[in-house]
Amino acid sequence: MFPNANLYPANHKTVFVLDHTPYFGISSEQHIEFDFIKSRAPGFLQVPPISKSLWTCSVEASIEYCRIVWDLFPTGKLIRFIASDAVAHILNTWVTTQQNLNHIMNGMSLIGVPPPPRTVNTPEFTIIHGLRTAIDALSEITELQVEKMANSSANGSTKFINRCRVVCITSARDDDSMKRLEEIFHNVLQQHNKTAINDTCIHIDHCHLVIINTFPISIESHVNNHPPKVWSPILTTEVHSVKCTLISLKLSTLILQHYNLASTTVTGIPMKEEQNASSSANYDVEIYHASVAHTAMLKGNAADVAGIRTIKEGLEYETVTLKWCTPRSCSASEMQNCTSMHRITPVDVNSRPSLCLINFLLNGRSVMLEMARKSGGKITSHLLAAHGGEIFIHTLCTARSVLEDPPSISEGCGGRVTDYRITDFGDLMKQNRLFPLKNQYQNEPPTSKMVERLTRHTKYWPLTISSTLIFNLKGFIDPLWTAITKDKLNDEEVRQCKQVVYKLFSLESKHEILPIPNAGQRIKGQKREDQYKIMWKELETLLKSNQHTENHTSVYICLKDCHKYRAEDKLSDKVELDQALRELDQLEPDHQRASVIRATTDSPMSPPPLASIVSPISRSTRGSGSIYSQKSLFDIFANQESKVKPRSDFYGRDPDSLKVKLYPNMKLDNERVVKGEAMVIE
Amino acid sequence: MPTVILLDVSLSMLRPLKLADNSEITRKQLAVHGIHMFLDHLSVHSKLEFISLVTFSSIYEEKCSFTRDYNVIKSELKSIDDYDKTCIEIAFNGINQIVLNEWGNNTACQVILVTDGSSGIGPGSLKDSLSTINQRGAANPFPVPFAFPTKLHVVCIAPPNDISLIKSKPLYQKLIDISGYEGSINIPDGQLNEQSVQTIFQKLADEMYASFKGSLKCGHLESSIYLTPAPIPYTKVTDFEVNTSTVSNVIEVCGFISVGDIGSPMAVSRHLILPAGSPKDKLNNSGEMSVDYESDNSDDDKAPSFCVLFHGALKVENMAALVSVADNWFGFIYSWADSKKKSNLMLTLLVPGSDSVPWLGDLNNLHSLDGVPCDSVLNFPLKSSEKRSYSQNSVVWIRQAGLQSDIQKILRHAKKLPEKTQQFYKELNRLRKAAIQLGFMDLLTGLAFIFEQECTQLPGSAHPDCALQLTHAADALRKPPNIKHVIVPMQTNYTGSNQ
Repeated sequence: MFPNANLYPANHKTVFVLDHTPYFGISSEQHIEFDFIKSRAPGFLQVPPISKSLWTCSVEASIEYCRIVWDLFPTGKLIRFIASDAVAHILNTWVTTQQNLNHIMNGMSLIGVPPPPRTVNTPEFTIIHGLRTAIDALSEITELQVEKMANSSANGSTKFINRCRVVCITSARDDDSMKRLEEIFHNVLQQHNKTAINDTCIHIDHCHLVIINTFPISIESHVNNHPPKVWSPILTTEVHSVKCTLISLKLSTLILQHYNLASTTVTGIPMKEEQNASSSANYDVEIYHASVAHTAMLKGNAADVAGIRTIKEGLEYETVTLKWCTPRSCSASEMQNCTSMHRITPVDVNSRPSLCLINFLLNGRSVMLEMARKSGGKITSHLLAAHGGEIFIHTLCTARSVLEDPPSISEGCGGRVTDYRITDFGDLMKQNRLFPLKNQYQNEPPTSKMVERLTRHTKYWPLTISSTLIFNLKGFIDPLWTAITKDKLNDEEVRQCKQVVYKLFSLESKHEILPIPNAGQRIKGQKREDQYKIMWKELETLLKSNQHTENHTSVYICLKDCHKYRAEDKLSDKVELDQALRELDQLEPDHQRASVIRATTDSPMSPPPLASIVSPISRSTRGSGSIYSQKSLFDIFANQESKVKPRSDFYGRDPDSLKVKLYPNMKLDNERVVKGEAMVIE
Repeated sequence: MPTVILLDVSLSMLRPLKLADNSEITRKQLAVHGIHMFLDHLSVHSKLEFISLVTFSSIYEEKCSFTRDYNVIKSELKSIDDYDKTCIEIAFNGINQIVLNEWGNNTACQVILVTDGSSGIGPGSLKDSLSTINQRGAANPFPVPFAFPTKLHVVCIAPPNDISLIKSKPLYQKLIDISGYEGSINIPDGQLNEQSVQTIFQKLADEMYASFKGSLKCGHLESSIYLTPAPIPYTKVTDFEVNTSTVSNVIEVCGFISVGDIGSPMAVSRHLILPAGSPKDKLNNSGEMSVDYESDNSDDDKAPSFCVLFHGALKVENMAALVSVADNWFGFIYSWADSKKKSNLMLTLLVPGSDSVPWLGDLNNLHSLDGVPCDSVLNFPLKSSEKRSYSQNSVVWIRQAGLQSDIQKILRHAKKLPEKTQQFYKELNRLRKAAIQLGFMDLLTGLAFIFEQECTQLPGSAHPDCALQLTHAADALRKPPNIKHVIVPMQTNYTGSNQ
């Protein structure tokens, strides 16, 4: 069973074969009117009649076909041009760089008008040359086909199918000669498929040949239309016989079928009149787009649908009429619920109403389209908006939503918490705002790098204000806070980070209260010492979890070192205190007590007894290598003991020295005291 | 996802069944009992699902339109009349109508066909419908596949060894196959009785409304979440490939974009993100560190959830988060409000692939400003590499008006020579180039003629340069056409003083 009818569409490869034989040089016999010259003063000579040739008619119609296709499908829909006279002229290849109007138009100017009728020695002029070359072109593999073929053979899955289409604009004498043309095409196609297939040349699985027979307006054609006819499994043909002025109209009907497009007429566009700028009239603009944009709507209420589908005068296809709805101010800046989105192109690209609508959209405004309902009332069904210079039609969801009346986020888990760090997260979002990169990436996609980056930025990120202290001290923690999450730290940044640590230490040693602006009650109510404890602990966690490079680690080590020093300092005080207290029990109180008291008062930095400082932080961090790791009193004591240097003996007692000056520093001491006092006064 | 319970009310549903305790019960009663069970299950586990009840025989009737009030359906079930024969095709046509009117063609739905295993006889029977499936015209298409994504579940209120059931089973399977989505056929295990029917519905409810539980990650911040409705696998059909993608259960934030920049891209589906309370909801490294004194978080409302913070910040900044939902599949998370008051976290799934939004470029090729060289960063929206025809002043002369207005424009400039010399030649060259490309040589000589006539008609007050330039242009137009040649203004004594 074939997996999907939409797979391997014929519209991937289209070849236009244009008749460039002398016959196409004749006039279409439709004269261009120059009203604006006729009304001139007498003495003005009539302009000799100007009319397009058959060639001009067929070129402009086929170019218009391309314009529509490439506006709507910038990639993947390829079109080639072949002009046929005595030989086939190939105007472009399947290569992407040659798939644009400029390339083809330039090719057209090189070919020029059809040659003059045959003289004795010229070879035969015929469309067959072009059709033969078209078959060669169809079997040439395209870039996309190469890629997809490689994919499908890698998967070992489905068979690759090469379907394509030929649109041939020519002129035949009668039905018989047309039939002969089809037969020749079929034979050449069969023959071609028998020839060797190689890397650049593939089998043609199916070809759709569309022949447009054309002639000047004054002539009656003997060629009849025939609807699609299956010649064989590899060929389907159809013939359309039209006056040369109507080729475009025919092609615009066919293009809708070929590319599965639909037409929408935007009605009621208010526009100032050209002549009279003060009044405005309502205009209609017809656009083409993928038919999927209508699917949802056309499956809806049958009566409503019947009301909006019409066939315009002189056209062969249906258009859906939707009403321009004066745009709301910010419709584009919201996330609309769009179920589909497709490029559009105006049918009449340089008419005033089209230009007016296009410019309105390209200038960044958007238009809602409304569908009138039989029952009265209307539904906003589509949105027209430009993005990056391209205009899109967005199909809005008009049906009921299953997300009706959902619970609010504040009703769920965590909904009652009111002190989320929303501003801080907003800053994080802004720091991680995405921008498109100019160059295509080579190895790791930048977006994946962003995931790593976000991970780095959130290594330690408390959710609520009350659960953090350091992030409420922005003035003090900056620039450490922002720097530490970077992937690399330069020496200057390391210095700044260390500075922050030092600054906090000096703050602590000056016994200043941490300036917490809007901390939760619990932290506010705490003692200064406890606040510092929590702050150091949190800072340590932050630095510890952000050791991305050696420089990061050096900041962490800096904190640890400082803290170790500080901690030991305090601990030694504490040991002295404990020792002193113990001694106090044994000794006579009066004399010793004073020094004990002094020791206690001298050391305001002494932490409270260990038991009382165990905060929830340290509960979970015990023994995990933290600066607060617990040691037994004995360990501390032993450690201290080993560090205490034995006091050296008075060198006067040294047997080698004979004389010793007593009080050598007496004078210096006096000076120092004076200075010290001065400092105190300050 | 909305569910239609499609209940067979044909006469065969009235066939009685003898239970173990010798009491009798009809198949219809069993079915109603089962549906009750089903609804009870939903009212506990999936309160937000919309259910509708449709009965059918040779006609169909929407007994109860889509509702979250399951009691309405239950009361409706009490008064169901009995009709003639089973005609599944008619019922399915009805469902297409009902669902399209209510939900459109994009909302994934489920249909539970509750029947007795006999699929009808003669015209209108399922066998008959399926045998003519290839002979349908546009007027009476076969209703399956449905006009919207649908999973079809068939519940057979019939003993497993029932002869008509054995015949119908492959037909049901064919229906499910055509529907294109995974459905199921449910047959009682062992005996047909209240218990076995109850089990079927219980199992079905469990499977159909399996909620999507996953986690939302932004670096180390993480929250367990539910997505409602649960996302279904998406099949993307392009010209050369058919690929089905499934949402992974880790939704990972890649970065942020302001909502205005996103535009309104096509969404495959939209899902509410509901935080699911769990211990994981806390900081990832909270095991090591938590300054939160309130270790007692038995009350989920009071334990902070990353989702809520995330929502708050997205709302305040009017930004959306680009998230990766599977390999090479992206979505956006943003704050969405159904009403003014109730605001939610919403996930919009884009079409799978990194190129689903043209104006955002390759979604894999986005990065924040720092960490990349300044000159390698562009801005949203990305300009398309080529200009479209409507933004590059294309020449289209298919309608005469197009050509006429182009000529008039040139003549307007001609009258204002020499002030408009530049514009005159610019328009003239544009027209000339197009005429050469289209092989429209008549136009060039015609225009030359018009210029010459204009010269003869010039008023006495006209600037002398006017006649000179017009004659010069006419001469140039009569020369053999060469596209590489551009007509340049004639250097006159007057030109200099006027420029």
